[in-house]
Amino acid sequence: MIRKIALAGLIAVAPIGASAHQLIVFASVDCEAVTVEAKFSNGNAVQQADVRVLDGQNNVLTTLPINTDGTVTVPLDSVDHSEGLVIEVDTGSHDNYWIVTPDDITRSCQS
Amino acid sequence: MTILRTFRTLFAAGLILFVAGVAMAQDRPRVVAVNYPLQYFAERLLGDAAEVVFPVPADVDPSFWRPSISDVSMIQSADLILLNGAGFAAWVDRVSLPRSKLVNTSDAIEEQFIVTESMTHSHGDGGEHSHEALASYTWLDPTLATSQADAIAAAIVSRGLASQDQVDARLEILREDFQALDTQAATALGALEGTDIIATHPRYQYLARRYDLTIASLEWEAGAMPTDAEIADLQALVDETGARILLWEADPPDAAFEITAALGLKNVVFAPLAHGVEGHSYFESFTDALSEMAEAGVP
Repeated sequence: MIRKIALAGLIAVAPIGASAHQLIVFASVDCEAVTVEAKFSNGNAVQQADVRVLDGQNNVLTTLPINTDGTVTVPLDSVDHSEGLVIEVDTGSHDNYWIVTPDDITRSCQS
Repeated sequence: MTILRTFRTLFAAGLILFVAGVAMAQDRPRVVAVNYPLQYFAERLLGDAAEVVFPVPADVDPSFWRPSISDVSMIQSADLILLNGAGFAAWVDRVSLPRSKLVNTSDAIEEQFIVTESMTHSHGDGGEHSHEALASYTWLDPTLATSQADAIAAAIVSRGLASQDQVDARLEILREDFQALDTQAATALGALEGTDIIATHPRYQYLARRYDLTIASLEWEAGAMPTDAEIADLQALVDETGARILLWEADPPDAAFEITAALGLKNVVFAPLAHGVEGHSYFESFTDALSEMAEAGVP
């Protein structure tokens, strides 16, 4: 009943080899610090970016420059993390975030 | 005296029922869905066995919602988290979610995903490039939605949120509804063969593929008055395609309809249903939109 599939003109298959990259942000907690890692989806580490650390009310607690290997460490005792933390990484042309909840921090101290 | 005693008894009974109701609501397992269709399918399959939460505010596009920390805490504590997959709800890749509670409802249909090319821009020494993306409104193809409902049913049973017999019975009815919707859509949209359509936003890829529609897309904001530049783009697209139907995600101001009608377009509001339509179920909204499209296709 359904006629043969024909895609509308709006659907463009991305050309193979297209330079496609997005900013990927990941943060892990080990009870003492949040380690932030940022890389592009093509695997390249972010070498220049601001890392903003925000609290549960979206107040900026601190801003740090990212290291040339695409990582930065935020000691937990340097910020009020009682309501969790939002980590924003901004390269100037791409930005992304990671959310750390109070439970994430609690679990990291139990493991 | 007797009246007073009766009143006290009734009041006490009412209080007990209220407290019991609150306790039951709190005790029910919680399921979180990343869009309205998944919430609706889960509610159909669960009945009253669990509370199904779709946490995105009505005025926020669920694809781009950024949850608060407290939202994420609530979601982390859910008994089941229903993901759409196909790149829908970018926030799920920006938080830690318990794997044991996650279900990607489109795992079984990944080979049917539609790859699109999103924004093109340039910066630094990278030159101009595009970000590859997937069309994510899978539920606008009832056959794909059926598969997603199957995945939800399996997850509900495997986690013991409802009995196999109950879920099987509800799934059978839900699958019949999908089948009826698919048949109705094929009939209603069959009349649009050879009719070029323009959508104000690229939401309808899976609908277009399923029913052999030709839909070109703009990038207009849902429900907003188009700018003069956007109207000029529309005019150019109408000239290029000869389109006669314009799909809107949501009602724009009346003046917008008047402008586009003057371009020879029939306006159809087809809610893409990432959010539900107040007072209408997934099936009701979908069939309403199909009727409007069929009517617009009549010369």
